[in-house]
Order: sequence, then structure tokens, then C-alpha cells
Amino acid sequence: MKILKCLIPVILVLSILAGCGSGAASEASAVPEADSQAQSATAEGAEAPGGDYKVLNVGRMSELFDMDSTIATEADCLEVIEAIIEPLFVTAADGTPVNALCESYEMNEEGTEYTFHIRPEANWMNGEPVTAHDFVYAWRRLVDPGTASEYSFMMEVAAVKNATPIISGEKPIEELGVTATDDKTLFVELDRPVTYFLNLMTFPSFCPINEAYATEKGTEYALGAENLLCCGPFYMSAWDVGGNTYQLKKNPTYYDADNVKLDEINFQIIKDPQQTMLAYENGTLDYVRLSGDQIAKYETMDGFTRIEEGYLWYLSPNLNPKSEEYSCGLENENLRKAIALSYDKDVICFDILQDGSTPADFAIPNKLAIGPDGKDFRETTGTYLQTDKEKAQEYWEEAKKELGVSEVSIELLYDDSDSTPLIAQFLQSEIENNLPGVHLTLKAQPKKSRTELMQNREYQLGLTRWGPDYADPMTYLDMWTTGSTYNYGEWSNEEYDKLIDDANDALANDPAARWEALKQAEALVMEHAVILPVYQKGTAAMVRPGITGLAFFPVGVGTIYKDVDVNY
Amino acid sequence: MLKYIAKRVMISVITILIILAALFTMLHSMPGSPFNDEKITEVQRANLEAKYGLDQPLPVQFGNYLKAMLTGDFGVSYVIQKNMPISELLRARIPVSIRIGLQAVILGSVIGLLMGILAALKRNSPIDTSATVISVIGVAFPSYVFAMAMSYFIGFRLGWLPLLYSTTEAMRSTVMPTISLSFFSMATVARFARTEMVDVMGSDYMLLADSKGISSFRLLGVHGLRNALIPIVTVLAPLTVELMTGSLVVEQIFAIPGIGSLLVSAIQFNDYNVVLAVVFVYSVMFIAVMLAVDILYGVIDPRIRLAKEDG
Amino acid sequence: MMTAKQYAASVEREDFVLANRHDLGVDKVYGSQSFWRDALGRFVKNKGAVFGLVMIVLIVIMAFAGPALSGYDYRTQDMAQRNLPPHVAGWESVPFFSGVSTDYSSGTPVRTDMYELKGIRDVTHIFGTDALGRDQFARVWTGTRVSLYVALVAILIDTFIGMSFGLVSGYFGGRVDFFLQRIVEILSTIPTTVIVTLLIVVMKPGLASITIALMITEWIGMSRVTRAQTLRLKEQEFVLASRTLGESTPAIIFREILPNIFGQIIVMCMMTIPNAIFTEAFLAFIGLGIPAPLASLGSLISDGFKSMTMYPFLVAWPVIVLALLMLSFNLMADGLRDAFDPKMKEM
Repeated sequence: MKILKCLIPVILVLSILAGCGSGAASEASAVPEADSQAQSATAEGAEAPGGDYKVLNVGRMSELFDMDSTIATEADCLEVIEAIIEPLFVTAADGTPVNALCESYEMNEEGTEYTFHIRPEANWMNGEPVTAHDFVYAWRRLVDPGTASEYSFMMEVAAVKNATPIISGEKPIEELGVTATDDKTLFVELDRPVTYFLNLMTFPSFCPINEAYATEKGTEYALGAENLLCCGPFYMSAWDVGGNTYQLKKNPTYYDADNVKLDEINFQIIKDPQQTMLAYENGTLDYVRLSGDQIAKYETMDGFTRIEEGYLWYLSPNLNPKSEEYSCGLENENLRKAIALSYDKDVICFDILQDGSTPADFAIPNKLAIGPDGKDFRETTGTYLQTDKEKAQEYWEEAKKELGVSEVSIELLYDDSDSTPLIAQFLQSEIENNLPGVHLTLKAQPKKSRTELMQNREYQLGLTRWGPDYADPMTYLDMWTTGSTYNYGEWSNEEYDKLIDDANDALANDPAARWEALKQAEALVMEHAVILPVYQKGTAAMVRPGITGLAFFPVGVGTIYKDVDVNY
Repeated sequence: MLKYIAKRVMISVITILIILAALFTMLHSMPGSPFNDEKITEVQRANLEAKYGLDQPLPVQFGNYLKAMLTGDFGVSYVIQKNMPISELLRARIPVSIRIGLQAVILGSVIGLLMGILAALKRNSPIDTSATVISVIGVAFPSYVFAMAMSYFIGFRLGWLPLLYSTTEAMRSTVMPTISLSFFSMATVARFARTEMVDVMGSDYMLLADSKGISSFRLLGVHGLRNALIPIVTVLAPLTVELMTGSLVVEQIFAIPGIGSLLVSAIQFNDYNVVLAVVFVYSVMFIAVMLAVDILYGVIDPRIRLAKEDG
Repeated sequence: MMTAKQYAASVEREDFVLANRHDLGVDKVYGSQSFWRDALGRFVKNKGAVFGLVMIVLIVIMAFAGPALSGYDYRTQDMAQRNLPPHVAGWESVPFFSGVSTDYSSGTPVRTDMYELKGIRDVTHIFGTDALGRDQFARVWTGTRVSLYVALVAILIDTFIGMSFGLVSGYFGGRVDFFLQRIVEILSTIPTTVIVTLLIVVMKPGLASITIALMITEWIGMSRVTRAQTLRLKEQEFVLASRTLGESTPAIIFREILPNIFGQIIVMCMMTIPNAIFTEAFLAFIGLGIPAPLASLGSLISDGFKSMTMYPFLVAWPVIVLALLMLSFNLMADGLRDAFDPKMKEM
């Protein structure tokens, strides 16, 4: 009886709440009819001739930081830039570059000079033709120290003449090795042949910018949809300042407009993965990325898609601690190896992440680069530092002797993004259990702070990642040369430096020998356990059945929307 | 009164200056500059810092910042929306937060007040008990629990309301965030209203008024409520500011572009200017609301105004 | 026979001392005792407050004994037992603890007995297990311990910093008061979120930083109340009397004023606790809380939140414990307020 008495108010409360909800809802449903269903089909009825108006609704995890192709660095931004302003080439479904704004090109014998002929029918949306001058302007803007672009190094990677001295301010930007022979002919000079040059040309940093337009807009250029001039398959129709949505629409003046089937792409920023999935399920969104535990739930459903990513997650030990505070014994190679072999990468990939990540027993990810032999880099190389808990203990015994200690304690630095905290906790448990005497403490920091600490070498062991910028092992191997900013552990090895130097220079015209040198370089990194690889990231997404033509790539631009078609 | 307000405003200005200076130093002593990314080199970073004047000594930077601020220029965002003037960023986001916050406070205080008064009038009845239960639930659960539960059951299962905030149907899409945010203020107001009303109803002057034969409506509204309002306004004021400046988690759940989530991402991305601007706005709002409350006290209860002028 | 003179000489000074000396104090001592007994009586009569007190005691006991009861600790991982629903061996027929997970995603509920599936019918996880196969029961109670620690810190900060600040500011008044009140004003104008987040980022995340962050933000309410009360009391006759009798300032503050505002201080403490616990939970939500693998109720909720539709039990239990804790502290605060000072307002 007493219980009943208590329950009455509770029920009352609930009914009041339910009443609130229904009242508000019925009142609101008087506004546009059947709104929720209509929303995904036709956002703006007026522009939907014959109901064949095709819309794709995409869920995003982070804001759109920047739309200026010379400044943008985030994957999400690069994708959108690629969709609204095309570079010379774009990546085809099989990963090879195909002509975009470039109609044809010639290369000299040494591979140091390229002449690109720009499509005569390519126009900006304001009717002006896309010219070689637009490329020259954009490329100069990229290396201009005044722009201070984070991606200016792409010009150095491409080895465009004088890129390095211009970036460091030693030469004027006019001396960059790119010239407009005439309105539609672009001439590029390189310092040395670069085997993957055309691949590089698909990167959004090499997109053209209309000089007259950009100068007219000044500092406002690319700040908002109304300050962008597009020439790609889509144009930006809306981008709320500081808002959580942005929108692309089909560009009717695009040279290949007949083959663009999608009329509109809506992007919605939702940071909460739970809500993202609810929004997918109720039809508000059509293409969303899954995270963590959700994968187990959606794995068997229609529309579940695995996406390969090029990101390599690894532990970076500090090999050259600048003070006692950051020293913890990781200078010892055997300790590093012991740790590298002690954690079960299979569990991380297949039990914890479940997102298609694969165990990494290497420094160069799978499907990153195809060699002169036509095979993937990984196919012709060995594996390194495979999990082997017994071997790990042997190394640990060895390390103990060499260090003259019986215990070490190490601080593991990681950031709080995504699944990293789970991985870090698992690593801690594995390492401590399999190597008795090794103690790990965990230190979580926001990503910016984590990177800063590592770049300042103020850490002991860091869980970090690296994403490839171009389809060549060099995008990784370049990292561990002496003096490189990203060589967090400050490893220095003459033999390695020479191999990388040769690959960049002396062997540039001998692809097979270069390839061999790269393999040796990777082997060196792994043998000395300069980094302790953990996994190669995969992503899982839900793509509503009926959507075709979404292309995903592990390198460069992640998703290309041009060929997308929807038929629900 | 005017003199009092002028004095308060002056102290507030100094307060805000001190806050900004302290924040400025703190932000700059944080590890991580806004321009540090996995892929940036030291040269590039130096270039960027020079571009935005971050390489100058701190006092100079602060001076420049203040000078610009006086002209309404809060600088540009370094990360969240690169090079976007922050005044525009705030102009877009503040109304959203204020709107939802105000809706929540109004809803919460109206329902809370009604609940509290009803509970006080019908003490120890089922109404009283349910009001207590609601207010207890309201303070015991964080607002995101309500937000999650509502978005799952009402938004998803039943499909009555949109799951996500959208500018095209701002009214409908703010219903759930408003309700989930209003619980706490509703609960607090209900609790205070009940205690105060019980107190006031039992006082001699109410007895007198009652015996004079005033209508019960007048009795309640003019004599009862007026006296019960002061403590309610006191607790409600800071709550209003808090709600108007956005609740991070609720904003995240409903994908609301408010300033709560803006502030947290700005802190995490080291977007200095955005942090400073948001804190500035918060401080101004807080001080303004507090001042308004003090003036409101005088309206509600003339005795307080006299006391202030004496002091 | 004794003459009058002799008699007078035999009279000792002590003869005039009152017979039952201790009786003298009765009035005063009894008076103060009656206040406490009175308060206690009022408190005990308040059902909600007693319920709160009992719950807090229970939660404290569980926070210390809970992990041991489960037989697991908060950090031991078992990859074979990830994300298992709550289950108590032998309770297969009891709802919520049967180890059966129900999937509603296809429209009709699909039931799977996770423990049967894995062949571990004899394993007990009262609250289930998390994404790394750790026992949630052990983690919830360990997390409660952290939240209780935060509560304790909040009380200490309140009493030491907030109370002394308020007493000094209120008692001395004038320039001291003006100066101290500006500090309060400044601190209360910066959003707590900003102070706390910045501090945690600048310092190493951990209990120590959380403590310092609380130290900066949590005492302000307390100092306000203490100041207001001190201002009111210092003009009253009994304080004036002590001062006239030449009592020292510390003695006046601690012996005369403090005992008279003790009730309010306790109530204010109780009200700060939920605030402090929520602050910690907020920090956990933005990833700056307690360092892993240690857990707090806040971090458990924010972790469980990410998989709420998949494994609702992961978020449910910490939310329930947190809510109970909040509820109990609130009820107890109300009870104490009514007990100490039924007339007290503006809290």
C-alpha cells in the first residue's frame, strides 16, 4: 500500500511529462505537413522539378574549419574543396589520377618539366574561363610566407622549382617554377623528377583560385558561401557562420554537368555519435561514420561500409630525452622491442575498434603506394615487430640487465579523441601484465596540447598517428630523418638519412632501386623500434542502400562526391 | 539609484578588465599554440604566429587586443573557422543560446512557480508529493540525462519532434532542448516557491489580509507571491545566465550551434580569441543580470531599495 | 561559647562560595544543548532528510566495500567478457540481472542470453561489464569513491576558505571588505567552465588539479553567506558586550560569531557538494576528468553515454548512483536547513 502511495506521484509526473511532449508536438505539426519525411527527400520543394531532385544528407563530426584551398588542412574541408573546385586531376575509383581540369599534358624525358593543357570548356561560375593564371596565382599563394600555409610543404614534396627557398622567404614568390604559357597552358618545372607527381596534383592544395575574385574579396575570400567562386561539380550554396550545417548544390556550369547526378548535398555537424545514428535511422542523414561500439550493432545491416584509411597509429618513444624528467629507459632498444611485442594488436583491432582497423606490423601502411613492379609496397616487404609475448619478456630481461634496473615507470601520453582512451587503457593493461616491472601511467590531453608536447619532445611515450599526404612511402619515411619536426623520438641514424637522401635525389630516376632503398629504410626503422606500430585505422560507415558512386580513398581526399547517385 | 548604478558599472568594467588580463595570460601559458598540428613545422608555426601578431610580447598583445575590442573587433578565429571575425561568429551563435536559455528559464520558472504555489496551498496532498518528486528528480539528474532520454523516446521512437536543431524549424527543434534544460530551474523554483509560500501564508499580515476579506486571487498574487519572489529571483538570476550561455552537453546532443559548445571547442583548440570573446560576453551578461536583479529587488520590495541607498 | 568576635574570625572566605558551583553554568550549557537537541529532533522528524542521511551512509559503505564485494577490481580487463549485461549467477529469472540482452532494433525484441552464449553461466557481474571487460559494479563504486572525495574536498574548501574569507570580510568591513569582495566578484564572473578547464589543461589532469579547480570556484557561495551573517551578527548586543569586556578579535570571531552561524555553514556545505560533484562530472565529459583507468561517476556516465542505445546498463547504473547521491545530499541539506533554522532563506 505504501509503495502504491509513492507510485501515484511518480505516475502523475510521467503523465505530465508525456502531456507536455504531446501537446508541443501536436501544436507544432500544424506547421509544414509531414515535415520529417519530406525533409530528406526534398528540402526545397520549389527546386524539385518532377520530384527527381536528388539529395544526399551527410553527417559530420567536426566543423568546417576552412574553405581556402591554400590554407585548409582538415580532411572534411579538403573533401568539400575538391567537390567545388577541382584540381588538375582527381583520383579515380581505382586510385589512379584521371584528368579533371587538365585535358592533356606532356612531360619531358627526365620528368622534370610538365606542360598541362587546361580544358577549354572549364569555366568559373561567374562565367570567366579557368585559366593557367588561376593556377599560378593559387600555387604562389600556397608557398607565400605571408599566407603561412600549413600545407605549403606539398609544393616541396612535388619538388616544384624554388619551392623551398620561397617558403623560407629567401626568394620572391614569382620565382616559383610555375608559369602560364598562355591562358590555357600551364608549365611546371621541377627540381628533380617526382614519380608520384600526377598523384600529387589531385590534392586540393593545388586547386586554382580566380585571382580577380580573390583580390576583390580580400580577407573575406572563402569566409562563407557567398565568398567562394567555384568551378567544380558542385558549388557551395549555404554555410552558416559558426553554424552546424552547410550545403552544396549542383553546379550547372560545370563542364561535365551531365554526369553529375546529385542536385544537393547537405552536411550536418553532429558531435554526438549516438545522435548521429538515431538521425541515420530515422532518415535525417544518409551517410554517416560509425564509431566504437556501434559497429557491432550495424555490422550486419544493409548499407554497412568499411572504409580503408591510411592513418597509422603508433607509439612513439622518446629516444633522446632532453632532461631527466622525460627519461624513462626507452633509450634502450630492447625495452622498446619488449614493449612493441607485448600488446595484442588483434584484440585492439577486432575486439575493441571493430571498425576495420588492421594490426600494424609495419611502418608503411597497406594500400598506400604501388611500386614500379605494379605491386603494393606491403606485398613485397616483410612484417616487423609482431606481437610475441614470450619474446617480449626475453627482450625485457635483456633490457633490465642493460639498464641495471628491475622496474621502469613510463608515462603514456595520448589525446582524448575517439577510441584512443580505450586503446591507451588496453595498452597499459597489456604492457603491465606481460612485462612485470614495467609501470605505465596514463596522461590524457586535448589533441593540440598532446601534439605540442610531442613536438617539444616533452614526453616519454606517446600514442600518435600519421596520415599520408601522397601515395608514396616517403610521406612516412621522411618523418624519421634527423632533424625532422615529426621525428618526435629524435632518432638519428646516418645510414637511414643517407637512404632517404638517395631515394629523394640520386635514385630519383631509377624507380626500382629507389623502391629498394625505401624498403631498407622501413626495415631500419622497425629493427631499431623507432616507432612501435599499433594499427592501421579503418573506418566504418553507414551508407543508405540506394546510394551509389561514393568513392573512398585512404590517401589525400577521403571521399569524392562527383559520381554519387541516389535511388532510394 | 543612478549613482548606485554608475558605481556598479564602473566596478564591473574594472572587473572585466582584470578577468580579461588574467585569462589572456593563462591562455598564453597553456601548452599548445593554436597553430600546432600534426603536420606543421616550426618555421610555418613561426610564420603563422607572426601573421597574427602572436610573436609580440604579451603586454603588447593585450594592449592591441583591448584597443581593437573597443572598436568592436574581437579579432579572428584561428582554428574553428579560420580567419572568420569573431564578432560574426558570436552574432550567429549568441541568439541561439539566449533563445533556448530564455525559453528554458521561462518555462522552468512558470511551471516551477505554479507547482510550488499549488504544493504550498495543498500541503501534504498528492499534488504536494508529486511536486516534491518532480523537483527532487530535477535537481538529482544532470540535464543531459533528460536530453538523451527525450531525444531517444520522443524524437526517435515516437518521431514527434526533430532530433536535431535546424534553423528552418527553430521552434519545433528547440522544444526538447528547452524542456531538458528547464528541469533544473523548474525544480529549484518549485522548491523555493513552496518553502517561501508556506512561510508567507503563515505570516500575520496574510492572516490580516485574509480576515479583511480580500479575494483569494488577490491575496495570493499581490500579497503572497510578491514576498515569495525575492529568494526565487536570487537563485534564478545566475541560473539564467548559465542557461543563456549554453549547456555544452545538451548543445552537443541536439547539434545546436550555441556558445557553450563553441567555448569548449575553443579551449580545446587553443582558439584564444574565441575563448576571450565568449568569456567577455558571459561576464557582461552576468554582471548585467546581477545589476538587473538588484534593481528588480527594489521593485519587488521597496524596503531593500531604501537599505541600499542608506548604505 | 564563642563570642561574636571569635565567630567572625572563624569565618573563612570559602564559606561564601556557592554550594553547588557547577549549577551556575547550567543555564548556559543547557541552553546550547537544547539548541542542538532541538535541531536533532527536527531533523529526525524530517523523513526526507533521514532518508538522505541513510542513503549517504549506505553509498559511503558501498563505495568502500563494493569493489571488494564484487571480487573484481576496477582495472582488471578481460577481453573475453566485454560489454556483458548485468547478471548474477543463479538469478536467471530476475529481470535486469538475468544476463539477457534484448535488441529492439529490428522492431521486435530479440533476446540473447549473453552468458549462456559464452558458456559462463557461473560468472557474476552485478552491473555488467564495460568495453574492456571490466566489472562495472567495481567501477561504479570506485567511481563513487572519487565523487565522494570530491564532495569531501568541497566541504573542506567551503569551511576553510569560504568561511574564513566571509568571516574576515564581514567582521572587519571597510577597506578589507571592499578588497576581498572585489576578489569574489571577479572570481564569480568568470564562468566556472573556463577556470576549471584552463586549470586542468595547464596542469596535469588528475585529482590534484580537480581539487585545485574546486578550490578556486566552490567557496564563493559560502563566503557570501558567512559574510552576510557576520555583518548581521557583529552589530548585535552580545558581540558588543564581549568587545566591551575586552575580548580579543579572534576570540569574538570564533567564540561568539561562529557558533551562531554554524547551522547556515553546514547547510551551505551540503549545497556545495552536488555542485562540486557535477563539476567533476562535467570535466569527465569533456575528457579532462580523472585519469584512466581510474573512474569517477562522471567519467563512467560519459563513457556509457557513447553506447547508450547499445548497452543502456553501462550508463544506467552510474546515473542512478549519481542521482541518488545528489538526491540524498539535497534532501539532507533541506532537512538540516529546516532543523537549524526554519526561517533561513536566500540559500
